[in-house]
Amino acid sequence: MPGVEEYVRLAQERGGRWVVHGDTVHLVVDPSDLRPIADKIFNEYGACFRTCVGTDERPLNNHFSITHLFTDDRSGLYIALKSYLDPENPVAPSIADVVPAADWCELEAWDMLGIRFEGRRLERLVLPYWWPEGVHPLRKEFDYKSRPDVSLARSERVTLRKEVGTVPLGPYHPALHEPEYFELYVKGERVVDVRYRGFHVHRGIEKLAESRMNYQQVNFLAERICGICGFEHSTCYALAVEKAAGVDVPERAQFIRSIVLEVERLHSHLLLLGVAFHLLGYDAGFMHMWRVRERTMVLAEMLTGSRKTYGINLVGGVRRDINEEKKSKVLSELGELVKDFKRVVEIAVSAPNVKRRLTGTGLLPKEDARRLGVEGPVARGSGIDKDARRDLPYAAYKYASFRVPVYTEGDNMARVLVRVEEVFESVSIIEQLLDKLPKGPIMAEKVEIPPGRVGVQVVEAPRGGDVHYVLTGDGRPYRWRVRAPTYANIPALKVMLRDQRLADAPITIASIDPCFSCTDRVVVVRDDGVVERLEVGASW
Amino acid sequence: MVRVLKPVELIVVASEKGRVTVKYPYQEPLVTSDFRGAIRIDASKCIGCGACVKACPPNALELLESPERLVIRYFVGRCIFCWRCVDVCPVKAVVGTREFELATDRVEDLFNYTVHRRAECRECGSGFATRRMVEYVTEKSAVSEYYANECPECRKAKILNAVARRRGGV
Repeated sequence: MPGVEEYVRLAQERGGRWVVHGDTVHLVVDPSDLRPIADKIFNEYGACFRTCVGTDERPLNNHFSITHLFTDDRSGLYIALKSYLDPENPVAPSIADVVPAADWCELEAWDMLGIRFEGRRLERLVLPYWWPEGVHPLRKEFDYKSRPDVSLARSERVTLRKEVGTVPLGPYHPALHEPEYFELYVKGERVVDVRYRGFHVHRGIEKLAESRMNYQQVNFLAERICGICGFEHSTCYALAVEKAAGVDVPERAQFIRSIVLEVERLHSHLLLLGVAFHLLGYDAGFMHMWRVRERTMVLAEMLTGSRKTYGINLVGGVRRDINEEKKSKVLSELGELVKDFKRVVEIAVSAPNVKRRLTGTGLLPKEDARRLGVEGPVARGSGIDKDARRDLPYAAYKYASFRVPVYTEGDNMARVLVRVEEVFESVSIIEQLLDKLPKGPIMAEKVEIPPGRVGVQVVEAPRGGDVHYVLTGDGRPYRWRVRAPTYANIPALKVMLRDQRLADAPITIASIDPCFSCTDRVVVVRDDGVVERLEVGASW
Repeated sequence: MVRVLKPVELIVVASEKGRVTVKYPYQEPLVTSDFRGAIRIDASKCIGCGACVKACPPNALELLESPERLVIRYFVGRCIFCWRCVDVCPVKAVVGTREFELATDRVEDLFNYTVHRRAECRECGSGFATRRMVEYVTEKSAVSEYYANECPECRKAKILNAVARRRGGV
């Protein structure tokens, strides 16, 4: 099992620099060494690739930089592999062939910062296809209010192929009402290939935080990345900043965070189970699942003041306390919930149409799951035993004992069952933490955030690990990078949908519990100032 | 045989639980006592310091400034009901309510204005801060009293003059 020394040696051998800061190993190497080191960390040491971060550091040190973030889940380490790139012509070697999970984040760095990756095909992923060439919104000279002059967005054409039929699915998913677009190529009833086009709802959140907000305001913005697992994002952001600045957060605040995080997981899993039943045409199960879910929504409102977007996180602590009265109310409510849920879910999963359509569909083999770096229940349904709550403990999870359910089948049923079991585990975690809730303040006395520090944090959201990277700046984050779990899970859909029946496609897509809006973050362009027609960027 | 009939049990569950939806808006209430709704600014307490404006994440509270007036504008259409303003207000002028039925067909209903008159500088007569703010500061700290009625510009000029005089003039 590699530890800090092995990782440090990687940089040492090649004449790089390194710093160990808490649980994070920072390695700074020459761009030409990125590939061999990433290869070794990912394929030999078996670390998990989380994301990569491009940063425009020209105002600081006249360089661009690219940072690949890995986590070693067995030794609980974060590894940040960084390289400085030329300011005029930033070029980095691509690691996507040795680390397939890095495919999307490299394309995003190319779109948003104009960092070229050698040895791979560069194409538009994030920016719309009519976005002008050479305009990279996350570069510091790009003002967050500016909008490029473009003609009206033209519709994208469906790719037609002679040998196969094309079935467009989207831009609105029939079940999840979020904008995304799948193009399924079918031969008869079988799906032979898939193309995904997403990022329709970029909201410029990273740019906004880096340009206009202060540290405490970003918590509320982070919460709005996702409408379902928002609190995970705000916790992840707060923990990343606290890690960077070395803020000492009171234990009680960490306990409250963990409790609210688990309440959120309950409601998210119950929501997905309901949606899954609905997609299979089993609406009775859907209605009852959501009836049970309503209890968690009321719980959340009692604990935080809001059914969703709780708004109780700040850098340094939380804003709402849990008193004895609420504690006993939560406990009695959870008891009822578990009883109710158990009864309904047993009935629903044994319904023949549910059982047959979930079993054996949407297969994701373990090796593909590892290579693509999938997260959460998708990974755990394919036999990968990883859970950031246990492996990289944050907030108060080290005080609770819980089981991480793992299924090896890799089909839709496995992913549903992982979630069903996690509901029971979450209830048990909340009960344990409420029991051990320590006394004390809920907010740190002093929150000082010096500039130039780096914090990386992974938080296990209901859908998998959220990754937040913060490079602190003057009064606000200098660079804030967010990676939602669906970002890692969507590429796996290609494997899952292939060779399946067309009718199973909606449930397979829903089985990763996709959250398209939190995957898409970056830029919204309104067509309010139509000036002139410009050359279209990438061609389709 | 029992396994095959398992899905039918849902009928039993449904009959036990009965109807769970509420006949809104004829039945009360939809929200619990812990709910955070829209805020209300008590104009008689507000001093116009702008702490709420600075804390507000979505810019629902804005400061509109002119030489004569300082206005705090609350636009509920932008509000995310986080109550950060309630937390930071030094005089407890901002109160959180449980209101959430905010839909209206008149856009003016979405705005709330708290208007403050500027304090007048006793030297140059120009407006600065707000009257309430000056009162608040003098009340809190007796030391500030004698120069609190001057605008920041005049204060700066006075200090510079004093320094220059002590040096014997430049």
